[in-house]
Formats: sequence, C-alpha cells, structure tokens
Amino acid sequence: MRLQLESIRKVYDGKVAVDDLSLEVLEGVIYGIIGPNGAGKTTTIRMIMNITIPDSGQILIDDAPLSQDFKNRVGYLPEERGLYKKMTLVEVVQYMAEMKGKSPHYVRDHIDYWLELMNLQEYKSRKVEELSKGMQQKLQFITTILHEPDLIILDELFSGLDPLNIELIKNVILDLKRDGKTILFSTHVMEQAEKLCDYICMISSGRKVIDGKLSEVKAKFGKNSVQIDMDGNGAFVSSLPGVRNVTEFNNYVELDMDEGANVSEILKTVANRVKVRRFEIVEPSLYDIFIDVARIDPSEYNRAEEGEAHV
Amino acid sequence: MSKFWVIFKREYAQVVKKKSFIVGIVLTPLLMIGFSVIPAWLASKKASDTEPLAVIDRSGYDSGLKFSQSLERYKLDDDSTAYYDVRGIFDIDDSESERYQIVYDSLVQCINDQQLKYFVVIGPDAQLVDTASFMVTNSDNFRANRRFGDCLSEILSAIRLQESKVNLGVDSVLSLTRQIDLAQKDAKGDSIPFEIKYFSAIIFIGIMFGMIFGYGQLVMRSVIEEKNSRIMEVLISSVSPFQLMLGKVIGLGAATFTQVSIWVILGAGLYSMKGSFDIDSSIDRILFNPVIAAFFVFFMMSGYLLFSTLFALIGSIVNSEKEAQNFVMPITMIMILPFMLGIYIIQNPNSTASTVLSLIPFLTPTMMMMRVIFVAPTLTEYSLFSGIIGEATLGLVLVCLSVLGMIWITSKVFRVGILMYGKRPTLPEILKWVRY
Repeated sequence: MRLQLESIRKVYDGKVAVDDLSLEVLEGVIYGIIGPNGAGKTTTIRMIMNITIPDSGQILIDDAPLSQDFKNRVGYLPEERGLYKKMTLVEVVQYMAEMKGKSPHYVRDHIDYWLELMNLQEYKSRKVEELSKGMQQKLQFITTILHEPDLIILDELFSGLDPLNIELIKNVILDLKRDGKTILFSTHVMEQAEKLCDYICMISSGRKVIDGKLSEVKAKFGKNSVQIDMDGNGAFVSSLPGVRNVTEFNNYVELDMDEGANVSEILKTVANRVKVRRFEIVEPSLYDIFIDVARIDPSEYNRAEEGEAHV
Repeated sequence: MSKFWVIFKREYAQVVKKKSFIVGIVLTPLLMIGFSVIPAWLASKKASDTEPLAVIDRSGYDSGLKFSQSLERYKLDDDSTAYYDVRGIFDIDDSESERYQIVYDSLVQCINDQQLKYFVVIGPDAQLVDTASFMVTNSDNFRANRRFGDCLSEILSAIRLQESKVNLGVDSVLSLTRQIDLAQKDAKGDSIPFEIKYFSAIIFIGIMFGMIFGYGQLVMRSVIEEKNSRIMEVLISSVSPFQLMLGKVIGLGAATFTQVSIWVILGAGLYSMKGSFDIDSSIDRILFNPVIAAFFVFFMMSGYLLFSTLFALIGSIVNSEKEAQNFVMPITMIMILPFMLGIYIIQNPNSTASTVLSLIPFLTPTMMMMRVIFVAPTLTEYSLFSGIIGEATLGLVLVCLSVLGMIWITSKVFRVGILMYGKRPTLPEILKWVRY
C-alpha cells in the first residue's frame, strides 16, 4: 500500500499544527516521522486515519482518495493507549478484529499464534485490567496487526516498553516489512528511528524539514569527518591532502575533511605508515542532523521532550 | 458482518451477561412492591398495646365521662381489649383556672414521662365553640386524632341537641345525620377506582423512567469509558462516529427491551395468580387495553432514543462521570416532573395545562403516558385524530421529530467531543461544532 500526502495543512484555533506537508510512503518500507513533541506528528497521523480532516491538501492511498475500505486495511496504534478493562483478552482481540471486518472464525484461527508470540497465552481468559502495563501494550499491539493490515501506523510505539519487549516487537515489525507491509512509525526518540527506518521525514513546528532514504539523508548531511585509532605517531595526518582540521582525543584522532576529499587515499596512506586499529567515516546521528537542519537550539528540543513527560 | 452489529453485539452482551442484570430484573420489582406495600401494611397494622390517656373536662356536661364511654367501641387486635385506657377524668369548673393550670402542667409532665400517650381538653362552652377543645400528645397519630374528634363531635352534637329542646332521641338524630361514601362511576359505565389508576400509572411510568434513565446513563458511561481509556481513537479509525453512537444507543436499547420483556412475562405469571390477591378486576381495563399497551411501547422506545442520544452527547463532551453528574441532575428533574404533577394530572387529565405540558417532547413520553392511563380510552371511543388518542399520537410524532433532531445534533457534537480531552467545551464551542 502506497501512501501520499500532498500539501496537507491543518489549523487548530488559529495555531498552525501542520503546514504544507507532502510526503510519500512506498509500499513495503518502514517510514519514520520524527520530530520533537508538538511538531505535528500525531496530527498528521490523525489526518491519515481520517479522524481529523485536513483544511487543505489531500491524502492518497494507491493514488486514490481515502475510502471506507481503507479503514479495514490499516492498523493503528495511537500514542494514547487503552483497552476495555473489563473484557477478557480474547474478547478484546475478537472485538477489535471484528471492527476491522474480520470474522469471528478468522480471529479464532489466528489469535493463539500472536498470544503465544507475545507470551500472553496463559492470560487468555483474564480481564485486561489484571494485566501489567507492558502486557497491555503488547495486547494492544496484537489488536493493531491481527487483521493483517497493509498499512500499519505506530505512534510512539516503544514508549513504556522494557528492552526485552522492544526487541520482541521490533522483530515482529521487521517480519511484517518482509511480508510487504508498509509501516509508518512516529517517534520523538531519534535513536529508535535510526535503528528501524528505511526512510525518514523530520518535521518541526508542523513543517517538513527534510525527508528521504535514511542512508541518503545521512550522506547528504554528513559532517564529512573520519575517526582513526592507531598505534604509533600520527602527527603526520594533519599534512595529508584534503584534511582541514585535526582534533586529538585520548584514544583516537578526528579529521575534518574538505568537500570532495578522497577518503580511501587517506586510509591507504595512513595504513602504510602506522598500524590502524579502527578507521571510521563518522556518520552524524539523526539528532545532530535535526538540530543542524531545523536550526533548533538543542536545549529547546530537550525542553520539548521534558514537556511531554509531564503531559 | 456490518460494524454496526459488532458494536451492537458488544454493548448488548456487556449488559446482559452481567450478574447485575439478573439481579436487577429480580430485585427491582421486589423493591417496587416493597415500597408500595410495606408502608400500606404498616399503616393498616393495628396496635397491640392499650394506649393510656386522660381527659380534662371544663364543659360542665359530664362530657369527659361520655367521651370515655364512647371510646370503648375501639378494640385492639383481639377484639376484646379496649384500645384506649382512660386513666383519669378531671372535671374542672370554668372558674378554677388556677387548678386547671396545675392539672394541665402535671398531665404534660405525664406525657413527657411517657405515663400517658394523650390527654384531651374539652374546653368551656365546647358545644358552642368548635375550637375550644384540643388534644395534647407527643406522637403524631392521625388515627387517634380522627377517633377522638369523631367521639367528641357526637357528644357535643348530643349536648347541642338537648339544649335545642328538639323532641328526638340522641341516637335517632345521629343516625339521621350520618355520612355516606359517595361512589364514583365514569360515563363509560363501570369505573376504574382512583387507586387502581394511580398505581397502574406509577408502575408504568416507573418502569419507563427506570429504563430510560438507567439505560440512558449506561450509554453515557460507555462513551465516557471509551473516551477515558483512549480506545476511542482506535474505534474511530475503524468505524464512523455515527455508527459507533448508533450501535451503542440501539445495542443498549435492545438490553432495555430484553429486561422489560422479561418483566412482562413475569408479570403475566403473577397475573395468573391474581385470584389470591384482593385486586379490583377493573385493572384489566388498563392491563389489557390495546391503546395503553401500544402507546407504552411507542413512548418507551421513542423516549429511550431521545434521552439516550442526549446522554451520548453529554458523554462525548465530559471527561469523567463526576463531571457528567452536573448534566444528569437537570435531566432527572425533567423526568420526575410527571411524578410530582401526577396528582394534578389525575384530577385534570384534559386541562389545558396538562395538554400543553404533555406535548413538550422531553416530557411527552412519561406525561402523555400518564394521561393515556388516566383516561383509559378504548379504540372505539376515539379516532386517531381526536381526543386523548389524537393528542398522544401528536405527542408521539413530536417526540419522533425531536429524536431525529437530537440524533443530528449529537452526531455533530459527538465526532468532535469524543476526541477532546482535558477542558470541557463551552456552549458556544459546542454550537460551533453543530454548524461545522
């Protein structure tokens, strides 16, 4: 399923939540929407889900406008979690799947596989309120994907999960991707997006700052620097062609390179003269890129995240 | 399967599968019977202890003694022991005001010490001054007051009779002036006694009130639960808000219908044992009246739809049940109005005030139903376009139109309200959503 947003704009009470946002999510990829809290991620997702309607612009699924049929083909895990507390696990899963147009028969055939996978089988007939928070999260994840949606939208998926469960769910997502499902993933934790996504779109204050393939984004915004960890005297590196500046650290040196400098030549030269233990072209983190490109003061980003913790 | 039915099924099962549903079905009629029967039973219960009293007679006609003899007609449960035990009769002349005060004070003391239950003062010139006599007691007992009044009236009448020199025996004059019970029949031939009408109305309206109010609030709670637990966002990504609202309202409506149906069956069983209760057979004219039955079903359904959509609207704009109570309060007032006005309506079922009130949509289901029961029409008596049936039909049409309007407004507010957290919207904001 291919998803396209064309110049989406949404204004709430005079405040622009999303402004002129265009993006394209190809079939079978993991696409990350990243940005600080309040950037417009959830609003964007709500518009894709047809929960709120954009003031202008349009949303296309496989080149066609949103239709009723789309609701059955999408799985949505909202940022704010919740399930019916008084219903049993089986009842909840059954209900949510039927709401997506699946038959009770279908649910019976598939529920055990997922409960098993998520280590919830023994709680099958318990009420939701008896589960721990982490278990409820996993249960909600099951309800999001049990009906085999073509597009899966996960808003802040990992918040509140322990590392073991994060690993578990990450593997499920990678499996889903291999099955050709399209996954739209939103987070304010850049490291998560960095590990999981094929494509990313950074938004800040409702506007797109940058988007594209993760590797390309990183290459494009690379600082163009090299870290070398070596035995022997490395003082000569500062005089190599293309090296603009050298910073010495305790265990390694970092070279800032000129634009278009030949990195392989440098490796060859260095390797000929000393023993190289590590040679690494340093990729900037998404966080660095974001701070750089969105021209945000890092303290402001942190404040935004802290703010979220209190909401 | 259509998603409406998925929601319908869940809402229905959530209520009907609960133990409280069964308990409610059994307990509610028991409570209703309890509330109506126990007070009546208590009131009719005879006392088992003789009640002590004293009399101060200032009339000078031996009225105290006669009063005491007159009271002997009242017996306790065993029909042999006297109900009242006159412990003392104080004949005090009009002029002895000092002695009267001493006796009066000591009798008051006796009452406070619970040695006496009452004392009666027959005043000077009691036969001439109706207000001269009175009784003193700490227990408000209507029966004693009525009995003492009756006895004293007879004695004073006899005194007046003697004074007037009419040559007739006291007993014959009293028998000439006795009171009768005026029976009442209506123009249709036989009559339905007031009590039967009133209690039928209370039961019919009570069921209606309980069902509309109880299940209407369940609709509200269900919306609040989904809002609070944030399931709403997932639901709305699967179905339209309108489908969700309708599934809830109609699913819980079906639960209401189930409960009333079970009561009707239980009631039919109880009715078959009618012989063992002392119930006037005229109740058949209400229970088996097709007009009443039809309007009960119609008003129940339309009333439920009207109020439950209103409750759904409230559920969508509030954040907690506590907040919702502010809105539930005025609805309760509207719904209990027919109970408060019941006595007026039963006396004037066709007055302009009754007619106008019963045509206000939110009052119609209960108020109009009450009038239909009081008039207890038959199909041959009125056409669909005149009389009480005509008015009730008009009321029903108005309620149905209001239901459509209510659904329209609620669906507009609902779709915005259910995704709003935190601040409760103001009225202007809600109006904006309606036009949106």
